[in-house]
Amino acid sequence: MTLSVALGPDTRESTQTGTVTSGDVLTAPDIPWNLVIWNDPVNLMSYVSFVFRSYFGYSEAKANKLMMEVHKKGRSIVAHGSKEQVEQHAVAMHGYGLWATVEKATGGNASGSGKGKGKRG
Amino acid sequence: MAKAFKYGLKGIRGHLEPAERDLLRSLFDDVISMLEPEERANEDPLAALVGLDTEAREPSDRAMRRLLPNVMKNDDDASLEFRRYTERSLRENKIGALKAAALSLDRDNLILTPDDARHWATALNDVRLVLAERLDIRDDADADNVHLMQDWAQAEDVESYLALVYNFTTWLQESLVQAMVHSLDARR
Repeated sequence: MTLSVALGPDTRESTQTGTVTSGDVLTAPDIPWNLVIWNDPVNLMSYVSFVFRSYFGYSEAKANKLMMEVHKKGRSIVAHGSKEQVEQHAVAMHGYGLWATVEKATGGNASGSGKGKGKRG
Repeated sequence: MAKAFKYGLKGIRGHLEPAERDLLRSLFDDVISMLEPEERANEDPLAALVGLDTEAREPSDRAMRRLLPNVMKNDDDASLEFRRYTERSLRENKIGALKAAALSLDRDNLILTPDDARHWATALNDVRLVLAERLDIRDDADADNVHLMQDWAQAEDVESYLALVYNFTTWLQESLVQAMVHSLDARR
């Protein structure tokens, strides 16, 4: 089972129904960034799963699956979106004390991802 | 002796002895003082007002790096730029949660609203992240070793005392998260 295949469209849909406001439209060039959560020996598994449920609005099953992925594989991509969207998620995750980073998605969409560059500021 | 947090009709209820309240208050205060931004003489007041911190740097202290991590794994420049826009408000949010949790320790009855519970969960988590760095917990095996330390009669040096405090805050956070999960399930 690979991560990107298993999570692709499903995650995007949940993100839209979760914290992203309905006014945001995820257009193709804005998609290719990932929010990554990294494993650490401190954060409680129950807490990580709770954060995924309450912040992203994920189901218990999905939150647990992502949490176990973090625990066993060392990292998990828990959301996709534009650079600005995943950065906002990352700050929220840091607020909860989770170790989160953002990264450009590799694969299909990567070639057209130059658009996000230099937007900040 | 502290009791586990429980979700009930009035919210999430906990019970802590006075000595446990004092301990938690001092832990929350310690992390607050770590996170409080240093006053700078020549700071642009407008920049400060909008949360911009042009002097922000990646912290040299490991515990601080864990509380305020880089947003990109392999791009220090981009992480630093991002930090200048976001770190100040992240610090302020963390301090706000720690202060709110500390304040609720002054109440006789420890009954937490959903907001209180969120503040408590992140405050306890930040305390545990700092303690874990001081205890040099790097992997699950380290965490398991620390977890073996359960008897306060064994506390004979700073490290064993810190381990006991870490285990107490871990137990307390776990019971709180379980109660929060129950409240989440009850609302659905």
